[in-house]
Amino acid sequence: MPQVAERRWTSALVWTALFLFATYIMAGVQGEITEAHVALVYLLVILGGSSGGGRALGFTLAALAFVAIDFYFQPPYGRFEISKRPDWLVLIAFMATALVATQLLARANEKAREASRRAEEIDRLAALGAETLSTGSASHALTAIATVVRDTIGTDACEIWVRDGDMKKPELAARAGEGPVGTPPEAFAGVENPDPRTILVPLEVHARSVGMLSLRHHEAIALDAGARRFLSALAYYAALGLERVRLVAEAERAEALREADRLKDALLASVSHDLRTPLTTIKALAHDIAGDGDERAATIEQQADRLNRMVADLLDLSRLNAGELPVRAELNAAEDVVGAAIQQVSGAFGGRELRTSIAWSEPVLVGRFDFVHALRILVNLLENAHKYSPRTQPVDIELSRAGNMIEISVADRGPGVPAAERERIFEPFYRPERSTPDAGSAGLGLSIALRLAMAQGGTLTYQDREGGGSVFRLGLPAVADAAMDALAG
Amino acid sequence: MLADTILVIDDEPQIRRVVKNALVNEVSSVLEAGDGAQGLAMANAERPTLVVLDLGLPDMAGIDVCRSLRSWSAAPIVVLSARHSDQEKASLLDSGADDYITKPFSNLEFAARIRANLRRAQASQIAASVQPMQIGSLVADFTARVLRRGSETIHLTPIEWELLRTFATQAGRTLTHQQIFNAVWGRAFGDPQQYLRVHVANLRRKIETDPVRPQLIVTEPGVGYRFELPR
Repeated sequence: MPQVAERRWTSALVWTALFLFATYIMAGVQGEITEAHVALVYLLVILGGSSGGGRALGFTLAALAFVAIDFYFQPPYGRFEISKRPDWLVLIAFMATALVATQLLARANEKAREASRRAEEIDRLAALGAETLSTGSASHALTAIATVVRDTIGTDACEIWVRDGDMKKPELAARAGEGPVGTPPEAFAGVENPDPRTILVPLEVHARSVGMLSLRHHEAIALDAGARRFLSALAYYAALGLERVRLVAEAERAEALREADRLKDALLASVSHDLRTPLTTIKALAHDIAGDGDERAATIEQQADRLNRMVADLLDLSRLNAGELPVRAELNAAEDVVGAAIQQVSGAFGGRELRTSIAWSEPVLVGRFDFVHALRILVNLLENAHKYSPRTQPVDIELSRAGNMIEISVADRGPGVPAAERERIFEPFYRPERSTPDAGSAGLGLSIALRLAMAQGGTLTYQDREGGGSVFRLGLPAVADAAMDALAG
Repeated sequence: MLADTILVIDDEPQIRRVVKNALVNEVSSVLEAGDGAQGLAMANAERPTLVVLDLGLPDMAGIDVCRSLRSWSAAPIVVLSARHSDQEKASLLDSGADDYITKPFSNLEFAARIRANLRRAQASQIAASVQPMQIGSLVADFTARVLRRGSETIHLTPIEWELLRTFATQAGRTLTHQQIFNAVWGRAFGDPQQYLRVHVANLRRKIETDPVRPQLIVTEPGVGYRFELPR
């Protein structure tokens, strides 16, 4: 603060000189002016002095003015005596006015200075904040913060340490200053720092510790309230900067993972395709041999079928993940897709009863959906119902309209899905807890089904069946009856 | 029926062997070609009654072999495909293939499909000319536009009549949505096309015993329909 002190001395000299000059002038014309004129002139000088030189100068000038009035401008002139009582009153009133005015002015001045210092801090913080959040390189912003902290607080060095995940030892993220790098702070938040030559500020984002800011100096560091405030604001920016470094690294890792995923999907697609040709040969030859009466060949054929289904599932899942499974939403009759599903599962169901409930007296239910995807979902639901419920019980399909959706429900009398597993049945690779490993395919069916339903604006939900069992409901977007009225006969 | 000659165009010897095994009791001889060019040359020289064509040929796109064959031969073309793309199947059928079979297939299914295609090739001209036509328990008189099941008369709309005629005259053949639409509405495009499937659903309700277990109009998912003439 040397500039401020210098300015004070200058203004003290200037205003004292002005005071003397005014006293000299007024003493010269003493006969023509009254006490009121003198008091006003002195008040002006006192206010000017306290505004330029602060409270101390204001008080000094007021005391000088008190003496000067008594000595020069009140009878008996030239002596420190007061002859009349009202003169006392004038002097006291003058003194009080001068002191109060000085005090008020000084306080206003301090406020103004404080405000301008705050404004400066805010400008700096804003510039830093913008840099923290927007510069191309996040570590560059951290270095900028370290530099500003070091320069503002005036220490030898400022270091920003990062606590990365569960890493025990903090790592240096940015540094400003000369000399050797300090040792990493032993512990993070909540430690009393024994060395007065260093200051440790924990860096937190959303109450989560992300690192530590450390200031080092060759002697003890003393901080006033303003510096502390500034430091804590900067520490917040440093924390944001660290968080940004972490997020950028995370985004890069995610990008790499996505790329690996894409490669995996492409590989899967080509492998799946190439697997089909040998599967055809295996299946056909096994079928031939089974015709000669070897039961083992029939098993080979079944397993080839199972493998083929798994390959198809994996292929579809990879296409769904890559967003490459096109959806052809067209006008379709709901009973057409139900019929196609029944036809596809008829082989697996054998003689098992498959009951349908469709209102034949009502007009055909028409929806806008992808026929092949909807069929895939229904076939999966029917196969599951067949697989997980006793064969003596029928499986029920019901077709109905529910608001602006067509609902196709598949219900069985199996064990149902326990409440604890309900959240998981639509996850990939899910299998019922009690099922035998050989019961199904890869456990992808329901997760594919749900995603296929959602891809065409549909829904797929599970519900307990009254009287025991499961109900799976496929909802598909219906076409309004009004639109169907346009149907040309 | 043993007079038939089948040509198999496939680059995989194992698949050719599977096809040969499946057909050994059905036809008199099975010819083999390893690529598209050889296949076309053999088809030209031997005039097979039916061609089995694999889509994954090393030298030519399957669809080009299909078009080339169809330009001068009326022999049914049955396509083998490992690809599950329905658009691809539909465009194959549109460019002249008669049927497709998806790998992996069973010998029984394969032989049945080949038999159906051979039969249809011989019978299609006759079927269309016989009036009134017997379709299972139904009797359809397309000139008088009368459809009966026993003594019961079934009323059909004009579009349903055209649908039934299109199906019945090409029984056993998988017709794409586009082919059916062209036959029923003429070569027009636009709104009526999207209602095709609704009309088929309505026709089924009238002629099938159980519309969700259709015996006559079978859905080929993503491709079209196939009309099965009961024997």
